[in-house]
Amino acid sequence: MPEADPVCREEEDLVGSLASMSSNERIKAIQKMPKTMRKKREIRNKVLKERTKKSRHRGAQWTQGAPGVSFRRFGNALSEFFQQLRPWHKSLKIIGAEFGTSVLSYFVFLKWLLNFNIFSFLINFGFITIPQFLAAEPNNLSFTGLELLTGAGYFQQTVLYYGFYTNATISKVENGPSYNMQLAYIFTVGIYFVICFLILLFSMARFFSSNFRLTKAFSVNASKLLCTWDFNITNEEAVKLQQKNLLTQIKEDLTEVNKEVVNFSVMERFVHIATHLLAWVVSLATAVAACAGVYFLSINNLKLFMKGYSNDLQRQSAMLVLPVIVSLLNTLVPFLFSWLGHLEKFQTPGQHIYVTIVRNIILKISIVGILCYYWLNIVATSESQCWETLVGQDIYRLVLVDFIFCLLGSFFGEFLRRIIGTTVCVSLGLPEFDIGRNVLDLIYAQTLTWIGILFSPLLPGIQMIAFLIVFFVKKVSLMRNCQPPREVWRTAQMTTSFIFLLFCPSFLGVLSVTGVTVWRLKPSEECGPFRGLPSMYAAVDEWIQTLERYTVSKWVVWIYHNLIASELFFFIISTVVLIVTYLYWQIIQARKTMIKLLHNQIINAGQDKKFLLQKLQREQRAKRRSSSALGGRGQQRSSSSYHPSMQPAQEVPGYPERAFDRNQNTSHNEHPFSVEISSSSDFSPGKQLR
Amino acid sequence: MGNNKLNEPTRLSLCLRLFHRYRDLAPQLVPLDYSDKPAVTLPYELISSMPELKDNPFRQRIAEVFSEHGDGNMTLDDFLDMFSVLSEMAPRDLKAYYAFKIYDFNNDDYICKSDLAKTVNKLTRNELTPEEVSLVCEKVIYEADVDNDGKLSLADFQHMIVRAPDFLSTFHIRI
Repeated sequence: MPEADPVCREEEDLVGSLASMSSNERIKAIQKMPKTMRKKREIRNKVLKERTKKSRHRGAQWTQGAPGVSFRRFGNALSEFFQQLRPWHKSLKIIGAEFGTSVLSYFVFLKWLLNFNIFSFLINFGFITIPQFLAAEPNNLSFTGLELLTGAGYFQQTVLYYGFYTNATISKVENGPSYNMQLAYIFTVGIYFVICFLILLFSMARFFSSNFRLTKAFSVNASKLLCTWDFNITNEEAVKLQQKNLLTQIKEDLTEVNKEVVNFSVMERFVHIATHLLAWVVSLATAVAACAGVYFLSINNLKLFMKGYSNDLQRQSAMLVLPVIVSLLNTLVPFLFSWLGHLEKFQTPGQHIYVTIVRNIILKISIVGILCYYWLNIVATSESQCWETLVGQDIYRLVLVDFIFCLLGSFFGEFLRRIIGTTVCVSLGLPEFDIGRNVLDLIYAQTLTWIGILFSPLLPGIQMIAFLIVFFVKKVSLMRNCQPPREVWRTAQMTTSFIFLLFCPSFLGVLSVTGVTVWRLKPSEECGPFRGLPSMYAAVDEWIQTLERYTVSKWVVWIYHNLIASELFFFIISTVVLIVTYLYWQIIQARKTMIKLLHNQIINAGQDKKFLLQKLQREQRAKRRSSSALGGRGQQRSSSSYHPSMQPAQEVPGYPERAFDRNQNTSHNEHPFSVEISSSSDFSPGKQLR
Repeated sequence: MGNNKLNEPTRLSLCLRLFHRYRDLAPQLVPLDYSDKPAVTLPYELISSMPELKDNPFRQRIAEVFSEHGDGNMTLDDFLDMFSVLSEMAPRDLKAYYAFKIYDFNNDDYICKSDLAKTVNKLTRNELTPEEVSLVCEKVIYEADVDNDGKLSLADFQHMIVRAPDFLSTFHIRI
């Protein structure tokens, strides 16, 4: 009975604190509690009773909550509808069940990237293309099948490319509402990029906060055992494989424990460093050579195109040479890099993966970079009729050929490799799904799409279809041809790195390319929504000037002149952001020191506990010896004659009890030290003390 | 991207799906109408025959931890509890708490060396020699035991979880 009282009081306190929270916080707090569902339901009912009691006292305030409640219910119903769709839930579940979380992360990433493309396609189609259909000019060119591959020919005069869009203000009805195509184009693209920026920023922040590893030099072994068993894997064969992999890793770890640290001689270390340097020089040289090749090939391409619009089949197929060469480079050079990685002996396989991924990134960034340089500096200033459409076509071809090479890569890399691995050369075995290379391919494709949005508004739609096909092809190829990964792939860390890569070189690069195009480059004179203007951004300038005439919109003009177009404002904002960043960084440093101090404190408390336990044991042993020296009869007499002298001893167990009563949810069934006491032979008073 | 924590409607749809899965295990025992709170308990054998659990080496411990009396037989509430903790929406601390209980085979609120030995054997299909198992357990305790009492308490375990960011995605069963 007396034990129930502190429990009841604790529960009343809990109910009281929960009742005073807002409903969101309360829901989260109840979710976090490690109690059974029935208990949580009881607590929630008690809390709701408390709240109605309180609100009855307050009276009218209860009804004010009602609109908020109904709004939340509507939002919930909408979310539930979308959740019911749950596309690909079953596919993802099967993939996770057989191959584990690491391979699953590729498919989840692909699904996430698809959302960007769907969103872009919808808003571009809605705001730019549909109005354009109303003011469309007839298309005089003929359609041959080759257009699907080259994007030129018939497609030049369609909504696919920038050049087709009109610069007029479209209005169906005379003196009716008009639709300014220039503003629509620039604002749609601009707002899309702003929204993407925010989504990427928040995703990155969320991933950093949940996946950030505090210290690297800590228990790899312990967490491997207890925290990385993949509960997702539900296939019997896959479970056996996972157990086998874990067994192999544990055995390797144990043999490393027994091995002594080998000190390399100076000569060996020198050879090591020289090999690493050489490998890096070769990789960078390959990347530079690839860039030079792409550059000269594209200049050649431009000369071909400058010979005017023509439907000559030969000339059009010649335009495909550049994208094919680029895709070949992107596919074959990574094999060179991984071969180089095998030559250099890395200390851990993790380093090998990391270095190979970095080299691939450098290659892809340099190729995309040189292409952007070529487009912005050479194509834009060339004397072609419509350079934006040219750039759009180039990007269309690159995207398409990259998609085809992705499918081919799946075919050769996985299907043929499996055939070879099972029939011709059985020692190779089944291929593994190369997560790093595939994710980098996805990021590359998405970068190209983002660059192309300005020049070809419907490109995200094409990429959307491509991603859908890639998902199914990769899934089928995975199920039929691949085996689950053998090595540890730090999923959370790698996913965070990939999202960071998507943001930092990829999206920011796209923003700078688009920024340079909009601000600095002169749009072509004869086509597109910005024809005749000195730059694409001039459309916004003109619009602001027209707004100045109306007094209603003076505030928009003020915001534009003083906030958006003023350098002082950005300078002030940058300074403020830098100061805030610096403050947060200092707080982080302080917290790290705090963590170290607390860690030391815990260790010290543990040592105190051990010391006190030993002291207690010594005391009790000493007392036992002195009591057995007093009366030699039996236990009972010794215990009965013991009672008077127990008084001081009773204090001692109380002290450790108070000191060690940690604030755990778990109840201590036995005191930690009573085990030691009862283990020392026939000392029954230990139990009487409790 | 993956972890959406806020959704009440996702919970509702998950609950509905789970109820139908529970019912599918024994349609003759589980009524469709739960409004009069019938006391239906499904035996452990049925629970462990679910495709998501049947090959999991820890299925018995999972069922024991979440069942009402610790014997593996689960009511609908226990079933919902189990899959809600194992879903992607449960917070990290909740998952850590239950993972700790799962690995604590003797239910003494500490993961001692014998618990670790049983865990290692389950993880490797009993293919390590006892000396190797003992070596591994000692290494784990040496690395993870912060307060030096020779066994892992809940605080030690949570401390270890912080350094394993993969835990959230691996301690997850998709329904």
